Amino acid sequence: MQLTIIDTKAGNFGSILNGFNKIGADITLTDDYDAVKNASALVIPGVSAFTRGMKGLNDAGLVDLIKQRVINDKVPTIGICLGMQLLAKTGLEGSDNKIDGLGIIDSEVIKLSSTSTDYRVPNIGWYDVKRHKNSVLFPDNYEQDSFYHVHSYHMVCNDKSDIAATINYDGTDIVVSIERENVFGCQFHPEKSQDAGLELLDRFVKEAKSA
Amino acid sequence: MSQYRRLIPVVLIKHGMIVRSEMFHIHQVIGNPIDTIRRLSNWNVDELVLIDISDHDHHDMRRDDLYVSYDDSTTLGLLKQISSVCSMPLSFGGRVKTLDDARARLENGADKIIINTKSIETPEFITQCSQEFGAQCVVINIDIRKEDDGSYGVYSHSGKTKTGLDLIQYAQKIEELGAGEIFLQNIDRDGLGNGFDQDIIDQVAKSVSIPVIACGGAGSYDHFADTFKNTDASAVAAANIFNYFELSYPKAKQHCIHNGLSLRPVKLDNKWFPREPIYDLVETKKRIDDRMARATELKNTPNWNEPKKMEWCTNCTYPKLSATPLAFDETGLCTGCKNSNVKFEIADGEWGRRKEALRDIIARGACSKKSHPDCVIGVSGGKDSYFQTHFVKNVLGFEPLLVTYYGNNYSEAGERNLRRMADVFDVNHIIYHPGVPLLKKLNRLGVQIMGDMNWHGHVGISTLPMKIAVLHKIPTVLWGEHGYQDLCGQFSMNDFIEWTYRNRLEHFARGYDWNYMVGLEGITEQNMYPYQYPTDQEIFDIDLRGVFLSNYTQWDANKHLPLMVEKYGFEASNEPFERTYRTGSNLDDIHENGGHDYLKWIKFGYGRCTDHTAKDIRSGDMSREQAINLVKEKDHIRSKDMNRWSEYTGMNAEEFDAIADTYRDKRVWWKDNGTWKKHNIWDT
Repeated sequence: MQLTIIDTKAGNFGSILNGFNKIGADITLTDDYDAVKNASALVIPGVSAFTRGMKGLNDAGLVDLIKQRVINDKVPTIGICLGMQLLAKTGLEGSDNKIDGLGIIDSEVIKLSSTSTDYRVPNIGWYDVKRHKNSVLFPDNYEQDSFYHVHSYHMVCNDKSDIAATINYDGTDIVVSIERENVFGCQFHPEKSQDAGLELLDRFVKEAKSA
Repeated sequence: MSQYRRLIPVVLIKHGMIVRSEMFHIHQVIGNPIDTIRRLSNWNVDELVLIDISDHDHHDMRRDDLYVSYDDSTTLGLLKQISSVCSMPLSFGGRVKTLDDARARLENGADKIIINTKSIETPEFITQCSQEFGAQCVVINIDIRKEDDGSYGVYSHSGKTKTGLDLIQYAQKIEELGAGEIFLQNIDRDGLGNGFDQDIIDQVAKSVSIPVIACGGAGSYDHFADTFKNTDASAVAAANIFNYFELSYPKAKQHCIHNGLSLRPVKLDNKWFPREPIYDLVETKKRIDDRMARATELKNTPNWNEPKKMEWCTNCTYPKLSATPLAFDETGLCTGCKNSNVKFEIADGEWGRRKEALRDIIARGACSKKSHPDCVIGVSGGKDSYFQTHFVKNVLGFEPLLVTYYGNNYSEAGERNLRRMADVFDVNHIIYHPGVPLLKKLNRLGVQIMGDMNWHGHVGISTLPMKIAVLHKIPTVLWGEHGYQDLCGQFSMNDFIEWTYRNRLEHFARGYDWNYMVGLEGITEQNMYPYQYPTDQEIFDIDLRGVFLSNYTQWDANKHLPLMVEKYGFEASNEPFERTYRTGSNLDDIHENGGHDYLKWIKFGYGRCTDHTAKDIRSGDMSREQAINLVKEKDHIRSKDMNRWSEYTGMNAEEFDAIADTYRDKRVWWKDNGTWKKHNIWDT
C-alpha cells in the first residue's frame, strides 16, 4: 500500500509522520502530482488558515486531482485538523469572507464562538470525544476517550449522517470527526493524543489496507 | 464541563541536558531529555513545554559510555530527536527571533513556538507569526517579577532585563496582535516551591480571552489544585517538581481529580510508547563490533592531539570535565562544594524536623497489624547499609525488610558483614543470587558495551529493592545517600529528591535497561528477571516511594564507619584498597574500588581517590594539598582485582585494555608516541 501525506504547505507534519511511523505505517510526504495520482491512501494534514491550505493545494495543482482520487477512485482519505476542514464546500478567510474548499463533504467551516471564559478561541486542549455512529474511526468497542484539539474554526455538516463524533464546546455539540464511505476526517490531532490517537490512526491504516 | 484543564510539565534544556532551575540563574544538570520525554509519552501527559535556555547553539552530551547520543549537536537536531519520542503536544521556546527560526522549529517537530524577548522588542513579529503559522501555534511567554512595592514588572532576556511594560496592557496587546496563548512565568517564584501567585495569574487570565498557562512556584500537589480552583488559568505548568519525585505527574493529576477538578484521567503504561527503551538487536551487535574494531584501530594510532588545558574546582579536587554533572560558579567553585556546605549548615532543629518527616513517610505505609515489614532497605552489607538499618530499626523503631543483590564480587570481610546483618539487627533478609554463568556474561558485556563490568551490579541494586517492595506491597524503600546530590550538588537539600526510574536508567544503567542484554551471549528475558523493574502502574498502585536517608539525617560517611564498628561489629578492610585510602568503602564489591573505578580513570582521567578526597575536603577532614598528594599517588593505579576479573570472565588483560582505551575522552587524554598523557591537578 502506498500511503501518501499531501504536503499542504500549511503547518508542521513532522508529528504526523512520527505518528504513522510509530504504528509501523510506511508513509511519504509529497506535493508531487504523480505521487498523489498513484497513492493507494491519502492523508491531508494542516494547521493554520483555510486560505493557506487551499493555496498550497492550488499552487501544487492538486485540487482537481484530489477530488478525482477521493470521489471517483474512492481512495481511502483522512483529513486531519485543517485537512478535515479543507474537505468542506466552503471555509472562511478571516471571520466572514467565504472561500471554496475541496467540496468533498457537504459542509461549511465557520469560526468558533463562545460566551464563557471557560471556552476560549483558539480552542486548545483535551475533550472527551463522543461517538455518533458506528464507524471505522469510532467502532463499537470505542471507549470514550480524550483527544487533543487546537483550532479556531469548526465544520458544520449539512448531512448529519456524515458526523462520526462530536465534542461539547460551550454547551453545543460541534463536529470533530466525519466519515462517509472512503472519506475520513478528524478535527483533533490523533498524532498528539497518545494511545487513543494512535489507535485511531491504526484503524484508518488497517481500513485503507483492506480497501 | 467538557473541556479538560491542562497540567503541563516544563522541561528546561541547557546545552542538551535537562536542568533544574532556581530564580532563573542557578541551573543544575539533571538528565537527558530523550529518556525523560519518552517517559512522559508513556503516560497521558496533556502537553509538554520545552524551553531551550542554552546561550549558544551547541549541545554536548559528553560521554561515550551512555546509550543516548544525539544525531547532531544543534537545537534543531535535538528537537527532531525529541519529537520522535513525544506523543503529546509540544511547545518549544528559546531563541526564536525570525520567521525562519519559528518555521524551522515547527518543521522539526514543535507544535507551537514560544516567543519571549522578540515579542517585546518587535511586537509586530507576533502578527507575522500568527498570519504565517496560525494563532494556535503562537505562544507568548511573559516573564514577570513581583517588585518590592507590590507591582509586577515584565522582563525580557531570560529575566535579566526589566521592560517597563504594564503587564495587563501588554497581555491584552499581544492578544490583539494575534497571539494564541500566554505562558505566564513568575521569576521570583521559580524553583522555590512555595506556591503559585494566584492573584496575578487570575488577573491576567480574566483580562484576555486566549488561554493562559501559569508557571512558577509549584512545590506540592496542593499548589496545582489550588491554582486550578482559584484562577481562570486554562493550564498550570511546572518544571522542578516533575523532576524530583517518581510518577509526580500522574500523582499531581490524581490529586487534582480527587479535589473535584476536571482533568484528564491518569493513564500509565501507554502501549505505543513503552517506558523501557526499544533496542534493535542488530544495531546493538553492530555497536559492539564497531567498538571492537575501534579497539584494534586505536592500538595502531600513535598520536592524539593534546586537548585544551583542564581546570579543577578551586576548593576540591574535581576536574571541570567529570562523570558527574557539575556546574561551576564564576569563582571556580563547584556545585558539590557549595551544596555540601549547605548540608553542614543545616541546624540541629531542622534535622529534628526532617527526622520526623521521614518517620511520617514510613508510617504512612507501615503495617498496621504489625505482621508485615514497614519498609524495604536495599543493602549491600557495607557501612552505609548498616547505618540505614540502624537508623530505621533502632532510631526510628520501624521493622525493615533487607534486600540484597548478590553480585558475586564480595571481599571476605564484605561477605561476613553481609551475612551478619540479619543477626545483629534481628531482621529478615532476602539475598538474591543470580547464577554465576549469567553474571560472567554480564561482566563481559558491560565492559564491551559501556566500559563497566559492574553494570549488572548497579542495575541489580537499583531494581531489586523496588521489585521486592512491589511484590510484598510495602510502599517505602529507603535508600542511603543521593550520590549526585552529595558529590556534585545536583539537587538542593530542600528539594527532598526521591528515587526515580530516571535515576536508575540514566545513572545506574547508563541508558541501557535490562532488555538491552537480551539476545547477547544467549541471554534470555527470563535470565534477566532480577533486573526487570516494576511497571509504573504497579508503583502507582501501592504509592511506592523511594526516599534518601541523606535528606533526613546528616550523612557523614566518616562518622558512620566508627559508629558501625563499635555498635554492630562492622569489619573494615584489613588493608587499604589500592585505588583509595579509605578502608570502609565498597567491601561488597572488590571491583567497585578496583577495575570499575580504574575504567573511570581511563574514561575521564580521575578515580575514586578524587571522589573521596573531594568529600573529605568538604567535610573539613583534609586539606587540598593532602588531597592532591593522595590523588597523585592513587588515581592511576591498575589494581590487582583485575587479575581475578580476567580469570573469572575469560577476558585477558590485553583485550580489556584495548577496549578500555576506546572509552578515553579526547577532552582529557592525548597520545604522544604511543603513550597516554593528561593534564594533572598538581601541575596547576
